[in-house]
Amino acid sequence: MNVEKSHCEQSGLYVHIPFCEAKCRYCGFYSEPVRNHNSARLVSAIITEFQMRIQTSFSPQTIYIGGGSPSCLPQEQLSRLVGEITSRWPKTDEFTIEVNPGQLNKTSLSQLRKMGVNRLSIGAQSFDNTELSFLGRRHSVENIQKAVDAAKKAGFQNIGLDLIFAIPGSTLASWEHNLMSAIDLGVQHVSTYALTYEEKTPLQKAVEAGEVKPVDEETDRLMYETAIEKLEKAGFRQYEISNFAKPGFECRHNLNYWANYPYIGVGPAAASFWNDNRTTNIAEINTYIEAIGKGESVIEESETPKPLQIACETAVLNLRRRCGIYIDEFQKQTGYEVLKLFAEPIDKYGELGLIEMTDGRLFLTREALPIADSILCDFSDV
Amino acid sequence: MSTEHIRNFSIIAHIDHGKSTLADRILEITGTVSDRQMKDQLLDDMDIERERGITIKASAVTMNYEHAGKNYMLNLIDTPGHVDFHYEVSRALSACEGALLVVDATQGVQAQTVANAYLATSVGVELIGVINKVDLPSAQPEITAEEIEHVLGIKKQDCFRISAKTGLGVQELLDALVTLLPPPTDLSGEPTAALVFDSINDDYRGVICYVRVFAGGLTLRQKIRFMGAGRTYQVTELGKFSPKMSAVDRLGAGEVGYVIANIRQLSDVTIGDTITDDSNPAKRTLPGYVPPMQMVFSDFYPGNNTDYPKLRSAFEKLALNDASFSFVPQNSPALGFGFRCGFLGLLHMEIVQERLEREHNIDVVQTAPTVSYEVVTNDDNVKKIDSPSELPDLSHIKELREPFVRLEIITGTDSIGGIMKLAESRRCRLLKTDYLSQNRVMLEYRAPLAEIVYDFYDLLKGVSHGYATMDYEFTGFEAGDLVKINILVNKVPVDALSLIVHRSVAESRGRRMLVRLRKAIPRHQFEIPLQVAIGGKIIARESIKPFRKDVTAKLYGGDVTRKMKVLKRQKEGKKRMKSIGAVQIPQEAFMSILDNSD
Ligand SMILES: Nc1nc2c(ncn2[C@@H]2O[C@H](COP(=O)(O)OP(=O)(O)OP(=O)(O)O)[C@@H](O)[C@H]2O)c(=O)[nH]1
Ligand code: SF4
Ligand SMILES: [Mg+2]
Repeated sequence: MNVEKSHCEQSGLYVHIPFCEAKCRYCGFYSEPVRNHNSARLVSAIITEFQMRIQTSFSPQTIYIGGGSPSCLPQEQLSRLVGEITSRWPKTDEFTIEVNPGQLNKTSLSQLRKMGVNRLSIGAQSFDNTELSFLGRRHSVENIQKAVDAAKKAGFQNIGLDLIFAIPGSTLASWEHNLMSAIDLGVQHVSTYALTYEEKTPLQKAVEAGEVKPVDEETDRLMYETAIEKLEKAGFRQYEISNFAKPGFECRHNLNYWANYPYIGVGPAAASFWNDNRTTNIAEINTYIEAIGKGESVIEESETPKPLQIACETAVLNLRRRCGIYIDEFQKQTGYEVLKLFAEPIDKYGELGLIEMTDGRLFLTREALPIADSILCDFSDV
Repeated sequence: MSTEHIRNFSIIAHIDHGKSTLADRILEITGTVSDRQMKDQLLDDMDIERERGITIKASAVTMNYEHAGKNYMLNLIDTPGHVDFHYEVSRALSACEGALLVVDATQGVQAQTVANAYLATSVGVELIGVINKVDLPSAQPEITAEEIEHVLGIKKQDCFRISAKTGLGVQELLDALVTLLPPPTDLSGEPTAALVFDSINDDYRGVICYVRVFAGGLTLRQKIRFMGAGRTYQVTELGKFSPKMSAVDRLGAGEVGYVIANIRQLSDVTIGDTITDDSNPAKRTLPGYVPPMQMVFSDFYPGNNTDYPKLRSAFEKLALNDASFSFVPQNSPALGFGFRCGFLGLLHMEIVQERLEREHNIDVVQTAPTVSYEVVTNDDNVKKIDSPSELPDLSHIKELREPFVRLEIITGTDSIGGIMKLAESRRCRLLKTDYLSQNRVMLEYRAPLAEIVYDFYDLLKGVSHGYATMDYEFTGFEAGDLVKINILVNKVPVDALSLIVHRSVAESRGRRMLVRLRKAIPRHQFEIPLQVAIGGKIIARESIKPFRKDVTAKLYGGDVTRKMKVLKRQKEGKKRMKSIGAVQIPQEAFMSILDNSD
C-alpha cells in the first residue's frame, strides 16, 4: 500500500474545460455548450493564467485535464493546450485527460499519447444503451468499446472507466452486466458512482414530479457491495470509496487530493489548494476570459482554513482511502495527533466495528464504506 | 401629597384584550411620556415581551393628572394576561385600591377575565368595567356589557366603552377613575409599613424592590427592616417609575415606588414581605402572598457533559432575575448530570428556555415537562416527586396522588359538544355550566393537571375554532390509578423518556410513544430496538432500521470546501442530542412522548 503514501513535496495541476457537447440529464456541474463559445479564446486564456499565476518553481507530479469534457475541444486547441503544458512541465509522472466516448472522432488519441499524455479517463457510465439514453448521455455502448480499442491502439496502457450505478430502472443483474463489461475491456482503473440527484437538474425535477423513482437504499447498497466484490475478484483493488485499480494503476492525481496535498487548478471554476489557501476561479466563461484579458485575478472565492480545519479536512479525505490515515504522517502534515483530536468518534466507531487501527493506520472497515458520510461527519469538525 | 389625591390602580384583563395599549394612552394623556418617546406597549420593555407582543412582568408607573382643578398622583400597574403569570396580577392588585377590568368587545368575557375579576374581588379591590376595541367593526359592546353584568356583577351602564388604540373614551375613563376609585386610607401617622410587591435584579444597582407604602413613609438613608426575613438595611435610593426610574427623597403613605438598599441577591427578598422602620416597627406585617406554585418540571442536560458547570452558572443567572424559576442538580443513569427545573407553566418554561439559548448559547437537551406527584409509601410517608424517574417501585407504594385543578372554559355554545368530548377523554369532571349570554357558556371542570397542562389548550382551540379560552387553578392532590410507562432504547431503560399516566390509557399511550419515538430518533449505523414496559412487562416493541447507504460517491479537489460544509451540517444536526450508549436521542424525541394525538 505504498503508492498512496505520498510525500509532502507532492502537488498536482488541474486544468478545467467547462465545455460539453450538451448537458446530461443528471449533471449538476457548471458547463456550457461548446458551440456557443470560441474554444481558441478559452485555451489562450488558460495558457495566460499559467503565466500569470504559476511560479516557475511549481513542478507538479501529476496533471489532469478534466471538465466538462475536454474531448469536445477541437483537436488543434486540445493539442495546443497539451503542448503548452508539456513544454512547461516536461517531466510528470502522470498526465490524464478525461475523454467522452462519443467525441473520439474529433480527438487524435495517438497524437495526445505522443505529446506525453499517459492516462485516459473514459466517461463510459453504463453498458446499457437504455440506461445511457436515460442519463442523457450522447454515446452508445459501441462507442465505449471503440474508444477503449482506440486508446489501446494509440499506446495507452493506463485507461480508466467511470461507471454509474443505481440508475432508475437498473437491477442488480444489469449492474453486474455493466461491471463485467468494463472488466472484460481490460482497463486498469474503474470508478463507480451512485447516481446522485443534484439540485435543479432535469433528473431531479423528474423525481420530484414523480416521473422517476430512485433505486431504493438497500439495492443501492447491494450494488455498491457487488462492485467491490466483482472488481476485487477481477484483480482490482479498491483504494478509495469509489475507486478501483489494478496494482500500480491507482490515479495518483486523485490520491494527491485525498492526501490533502496542494494542487493548482487553472481554468474557469477550477479550485486550488495552495499555500494553505483554498481558492476557486470565476466560473462564468466570458467573465473569466475578460478578467484574464485585463490581467486581473481570476480568483472568485478564497478561504484560508485554520490549521485545525486543515487537520479535519485531511482526516475526512484520508479516511476515504482504504489505507486510511497514516497516524505518524498525519501528525507531520497537520501538527495534530489524530488519536487525540478525534478520540471521541474513534472510540465510538471503533466499538461499532466501523473503524479499525492496525500498523499505524486508522481506517474505515468494509462495513463502514457504504455509510461513510455518517461517520466522516464526526471528523469534519471538533 | 395627601393620600386624598392619590389613586392606585391595576389594569387587568384576559390576554391581548388591550391592557398595555390602554396604559400607552393613559401615559400620553397625562403627559408622562412625550410623543417622541411614545411607542406601542411602551411598558413592555423586555426584549421577549416586545418580540412576543405580550406582557410577562407587571410594570408600575407614576403619573400626574389634573382633574377639576386638582393635582392627582396616579399609580398604574399594567399586568400580564397569561395564566402562567397570574401571580403577577395578584401582587399588583394588593398594591392597589382599584382596577380597570378590560374586556375586548370583539371577544367578550374570557377565562382570564373571570379569573382576574375574582382575584380583584377577593382582595377587596374596586373594579371598573372597561369595554375595549369598540373601534373594530366586529365589536359587540352591548353583548359584552351584558356578559360583564351577568358574570361579574358590574352593571352594564357603568361600563366604559373605549378604544385603547384610537384613544376614544380614555379621557372620560380617567376622569371617572379619579372620582370612582377610593384613595388610599391615610395612615401617614402610623409606623411605616410598605409591601414589597415585586423585585428585580439590576446588574449595576443590585436588587430593586417595588413597594407600596401603606403606612408611615420611607426616606432616604432610613434604617429599614424586612419583617418576614428579619434583615435590616439602609435605604440608599428611593424613587418612582415615570416610567424610567427617577429618584425621590421620600415615599409617603399611599404611594408606589421603588427601594434600593444594598441587597445582594434576589433570593434575600421575599415578595410579599413588609418593610418597616427599624427603630419604630409596625405592630403587624401586611398580608403577604402565597408564593406562586410551580406547575411543570423538566430536566435540562448539557448536550456535552463538560458543559455542566456552564449550564449551572447560566441557571444561576436566570434564577437571579426570576424568582419563580427553580433548579436543582439531577443525575440520570441514562443522561448523566443535569438539572431539574420548575416552572409556572409551559409559557414560562418556553421563556426560560429561550433566555438560556439566547443569553448563554449552551447546547442543551430538555426532557418532556411533567407535573409533580405525591407518593404515599407503605410506611405512610408522603413524598413529593417531580419526575417519573423518581417514582419508587410500585410494590413500595400505597398510593400515588396527582395534582387536580379547577378548570374554567369559556366558549361559544356551538362547540360545547366537542369540548365535552375532549374533556371527558382527559378525565375531567363537569361541575357547572353557566350561560354568559345567549350563545356563550362557561364550563367548570375538576381536572387532573397532567391532562390539561400540555396539549389541551391547543386541542381546545381546535375543537372551538379558536374561540374557547381556559383558566385553571390548583385545588389539591388526589389519589389515582396511575402507572409508569418505561421506555427502553437499544435495551437500555431511559428514565428521561418515562411517563406517568392513568392505567386505563397506559397501553395505548405506550404504543403511541413508541411510534413517536421511532419517527423522532434518526436512523443510526445500526438497528435500534425500542421497547415499552409497564410494570416490568414489555407490552410493545418497534425498531429503527439502520441506514444502509450514506456516502458521497465522488470527492475530488474542487469539492473539498463544499463537501466539508455538507458534512459539518450533518454533524451540526447531531446537536441538541443526548447520547445513550451509541444512540443519539434528539431533543424532539424527548418532547415527542407527550404527543398524544392520533
Ligand atoms: N383595534 C384595536 N386594537 C387594539 C385595541 N387595544 C389593543 N389593541 C390591539 O390588541 C393587541 C393586544 O394589545 P395589548 O395592549 O398588547 O394587550 P394586553 O392585554 O396588554 O396583552 P397581554 O399583556 O399579553 O395580556 C395589540 O395588537 C393591540 O394593538 C383597540 O382599542 N382597538
Ligand atoms: S459530459 Fe459530464 S460535465 Fe458534461 S454534461 Fe455530461 S456529466 Fe456533465
Ligand atoms: Mg400587555
